[in-house]
Amino acid sequence: MGEIRVGVFVCHCGTNIGAVVDVPELVTHARTLPHVFHAEANAYSCSEEGLSSLKQAILEHRLNRVVVASCTPRTHEPLFKNACAEAGLNRYLFEFINIREHCSWIHSQTSQAATEKAKRLVRMGVAKAFLLEPQEETESAVIPVALVIGGGIAGLTAAVNLARQGFRVHLVEKAERLGGVVAQLHRLCPTDEDASDLIEPIIRAVQDDRAITVHMPATVQEVGGYVGSFRATVATGDDRRTLDVGTIIVATGADVLLPIGLYGYGRFPNVLTQSELEARLETEALRVGSAVFINCVGARTPERPYCSRVCCMTSLKNAAELRRRNPDARVYVLHRDMVTCGIEFERYYRRAMQMGVRFLRYDLDRPPQIVGGDDAEATIVWDALRGREARVPSELVVLTTPLIPGLDNQSTSHLLKVPLGEAGFFLEAHIKLRPVEFATDGVFVCGTARWPADVAESISQAYAACSKAAILMQAGSVTAEAITAFSDPDRCTGCGTCVPTCPYNAIELHHRSPTPGMACSTMLQVAGVNPVQCKGCGSCVAACPNGAMQQRGFTDQQMLRMLEVCVSG
Amino acid sequence: MSPAVLVVGAGIAGIQASIDLARMGFEVYLVERTPSIGGRMAQLDKTFPTNDCAICILAPKMSECATHENIHLLTYSEVILVEGRAGSFRARVLRRPRYVNIDRCTGCGECVERCPREVDDEFNFGLSHRRAIYLPFPQALPRKMTIDPDHCIYLSNRDKVSAVNPKKGPCRLCEKVCEAGAIDWGQQEETIHMVVGAIVIATGFDPYDASQLEEYGHGRIPNVITSLQYERLVSASGPTSGRLLRPSDGEHPRSVAFIQCVGSRDVNHNPYCSSVCCMFATKEAILANEHDPELRSYVFYTDLRAAGKGFQKYVARAREEYRVAYIRSRPGSITHCKDTGNPVVHYEDTTTQRVLEMEVGLVVLCQALIPRRGQRDLADVLGIELDEHGFVGLPSPMRRPWDTSVSGIFACGYCHSPQDIPDSVAQASAVAARVAEMDWARATVRAG
Amino acid sequence: MDDEAFTPRIVAFCCNWCSYAGADLAGVSRLQMPPDFHVVRVMCSARVAPEWIIKALSDGIDGVMVLGCHIGDCHYTSGNHRAAKRFALLKELLTYIGIHPDRLLVDWVSASEARKFQRLVTQFIGRVRELGPVCSQAREAPATEHPGQQALPHGERQDTCPRS
Repeated sequence: MGEIRVGVFVCHCGTNIGAVVDVPELVTHARTLPHVFHAEANAYSCSEEGLSSLKQAILEHRLNRVVVASCTPRTHEPLFKNACAEAGLNRYLFEFINIREHCSWIHSQTSQAATEKAKRLVRMGVAKAFLLEPQEETESAVIPVALVIGGGIAGLTAAVNLARQGFRVHLVEKAERLGGVVAQLHRLCPTDEDASDLIEPIIRAVQDDRAITVHMPATVQEVGGYVGSFRATVATGDDRRTLDVGTIIVATGADVLLPIGLYGYGRFPNVLTQSELEARLETEALRVGSAVFINCVGARTPERPYCSRVCCMTSLKNAAELRRRNPDARVYVLHRDMVTCGIEFERYYRRAMQMGVRFLRYDLDRPPQIVGGDDAEATIVWDALRGREARVPSELVVLTTPLIPGLDNQSTSHLLKVPLGEAGFFLEAHIKLRPVEFATDGVFVCGTARWPADVAESISQAYAACSKAAILMQAGSVTAEAITAFSDPDRCTGCGTCVPTCPYNAIELHHRSPTPGMACSTMLQVAGVNPVQCKGCGSCVAACPNGAMQQRGFTDQQMLRMLEVCVSG
Repeated sequence: MSPAVLVVGAGIAGIQASIDLARMGFEVYLVERTPSIGGRMAQLDKTFPTNDCAICILAPKMSECATHENIHLLTYSEVILVEGRAGSFRARVLRRPRYVNIDRCTGCGECVERCPREVDDEFNFGLSHRRAIYLPFPQALPRKMTIDPDHCIYLSNRDKVSAVNPKKGPCRLCEKVCEAGAIDWGQQEETIHMVVGAIVIATGFDPYDASQLEEYGHGRIPNVITSLQYERLVSASGPTSGRLLRPSDGEHPRSVAFIQCVGSRDVNHNPYCSSVCCMFATKEAILANEHDPELRSYVFYTDLRAAGKGFQKYVARAREEYRVAYIRSRPGSITHCKDTGNPVVHYEDTTTQRVLEMEVGLVVLCQALIPRRGQRDLADVLGIELDEHGFVGLPSPMRRPWDTSVSGIFACGYCHSPQDIPDSVAQASAVAARVAEMDWARATVRAG
Repeated sequence: MDDEAFTPRIVAFCCNWCSYAGADLAGVSRLQMPPDFHVVRVMCSARVAPEWIIKALSDGIDGVMVLGCHIGDCHYTSGNHRAAKRFALLKELLTYIGIHPDRLLVDWVSASEARKFQRLVTQFIGRVRELGPVCSQAREAPATEHPGQQALPHGERQDTCPRS
């Protein structure tokens, strides 16, 4: 390593810093620090002038470390790093010291103390800069092929969009047919169109598209690798195939709860689920004189507290259908809140009322009772709003049950190393702002695998997942900011403490041969960090018992030196 | 030539759409009518159901938007003309003059300190004042000042200034204290021309005027505020620095009543459901109790709509941990107890059929959320259809939940349907993929 | 050492996403604070190694703050959880080796909590002033070579207390 030559650039920021901190004194002080070969002040370091001056100084004084003392790195750090790069200096040989938000602006009445503090902060910055090493950002190729797991509306939509964008897609479906739940529905709400009108064209689009390879019936057995280069093993019967893909979209859908043991289901032949009703509506000229829909069956209970989002609409759809088939039918919907958010769904609710569907509110602590002989005949329910008991004739009882996580969610979760959240649905990276991404890069989720969703929402989420996948595949590579962790294989004892600390599964233990001359001659296990997966939190570093794990740009040595320097003077 | 997209509206949906499009390689022109990006989310204190600090999770996205090389921010601007068709729209954007040179302004704020003119602060929904030269909110991006020409003493009197001595004229204190020399009285409005392949609308919502429901007394009874005003009160960067102090006397309320469906699900006002109010009332009730564990909150609701991920658990937490009471009722009226300043809620508890009244310290009206002012004008410029409520119309809402009536123009977020943040964010990303699958995009992106 | 002239030397580790931003906002809002603390930026509170705290205190830093995102808000999902656990343990250890646990403050500051940052810093500095210089505790320690005796970058050598 050659001589370390540090340059210090102090910003006046107009009077924001200069009026409180004695900038000339700070510059003079900086010049006295070891390894500092140049120090200057600027009116505004971030301006065109300031940046030119910085670049010029780097060249003129052959600086190989730069410290800027000004505002907050959270705004201008990229700007200064770019300037360093433009002057031929590795962008990671730069350190930013905040003497505005963290000094002049908060100690404006104590100029001398603020100046002394600024001096200390600059000393700390210089001490750290001295220990910085050049870093190269790791680039990793992204294969422009996607794996979509699940052939329901979400998976099909995702496959078509990605193919249209120009990527190749492997679609894996475990059943014998494509279409998932939507293919089994009779009509869709709120448009009341036939479900087949929506799902058939998209199934055809997938089958006709040469860029999409459908594996069916098939399951994903194993997934290795990381973002950009996953290796998946897909099994169809005994046949196994290996697929190399860049991104993975989870669109495995959800199941519907069977209300076994509830409200006479299984005992009375005329107590049905919504799915069973739809199948009959589809195939028969079903017409009844009376029907009772019971909503929130097995949902919004202590055992299963969530609301399944789509069921109120389903009950309205089918209740209205029965009224349509027989305008004299007495159709009741027993509910514990009608959830019809937005414009169209609320309109649909109003229309169902106008069509003569009656609504009755019940409470969880006084559930309806089904009475009858061989068949269900009537429903007895405490009408919570009228405060009295009602007896409703029930030629048909339809139980509205929630969507529940697919049985395969657990195994898929282990396969892809992605988490499950509330109730066993997949857990996204951030509930508000990253609804279709996992914390693990390159894997995305959409549709009811993530949470109960209707058709429009599933299509939206599928496109959203495609957007995320396309960003990666379009770029062709991923670059990691070089603040990643790395393990020194000569110090690592393979204890594995670091591995579970990583939220991104970026650390693995692997075997390495002993270095010649080492006392130990057996194979060793050491930790390795995948710099593409690593996000630079440093949790593993703090966990490492012997300092083998370090973080680029935030090494123990650098941080401890800053502490030492903070104390002196 | 890199394919370009115009995004109108820089709230969370517009920001997310811009980021995704930019990362895909598109040039993005992000046009925002106000001086800063951020939208409604920047006005919230926390977001349900995680109680994340809204600006904390928004700021990194704002930052990426402001620094991404493919995104060109056009704040304080409006789209005034669009011609052409999908694949090649010619758009004209008008950038209003800030009277501040943004290349020189450092956002230090000295000018704001000295400006003598106080104006109702629209960011705080009138609960406080800002100056005629201002930064909309502390984390505004771009962090540059703007002079409001309607209220600036100098600008509104400029015509009266003598032509002989143009340096004279009232005030101009900001100019005197600006070290960077950034005040530019001569700044003109600017027209920017662009050719884009697609347009994305993400204009969000406005609050419905709650005073339209006279029976609730908003605007008449001092301690009856709206949910968005409440958000500003409890925000750490709001007019009371996050302390829940009621407007009439600055006292801490001991009880708060949240009234749902104010102007929503109401044939006399807006028949639709605004989707997010049950949840944010729950959040606001929780926040009230966090501010003061003795405080009791009451939510007056019709149907409790908590269908998203984690929502029911959140409501259960509100009930159990924070003792929030949910009363099924749509109150008939709110009166004012002059002695105490307390509003009195008159209601029928529908589960007991009793008519009651409740005196509380503060009433929060969860008002309907309606399309943004100016949506009709934008629709005319773009040639798209709106629905009967003024939301952007979607001809095929199930198959193509973002396509407007004009090919190549898409909408995401609240501007077409009431929805919450995760749905808006998903839609924003979805629209990016929708743009990317268009023929013109495939042709140019492949080549580029 | 004259306690009246005692100006504490304090280091505050702040995470890039929340507490550092909160500190920035405090600055933007011009919230005034005593100048006795120095912010050191880390990406996550989980990076802060317990060994740093021990080294800091033995170097003569009178108090250390570790400020991260609120639980549930960590930019890296679980970093602050780990930090919370590590430092709960460290506080016990500090007591065991005779250092007052109040010299370590671990708290959560969001990017918008400027006032909380101001309050925490001001209160912590006040508390550390009450506790006195950390070296006054170190004087009770056995007379082995004091870690503060290693050479500092500027070639100064100190005797028992790096900050006498």
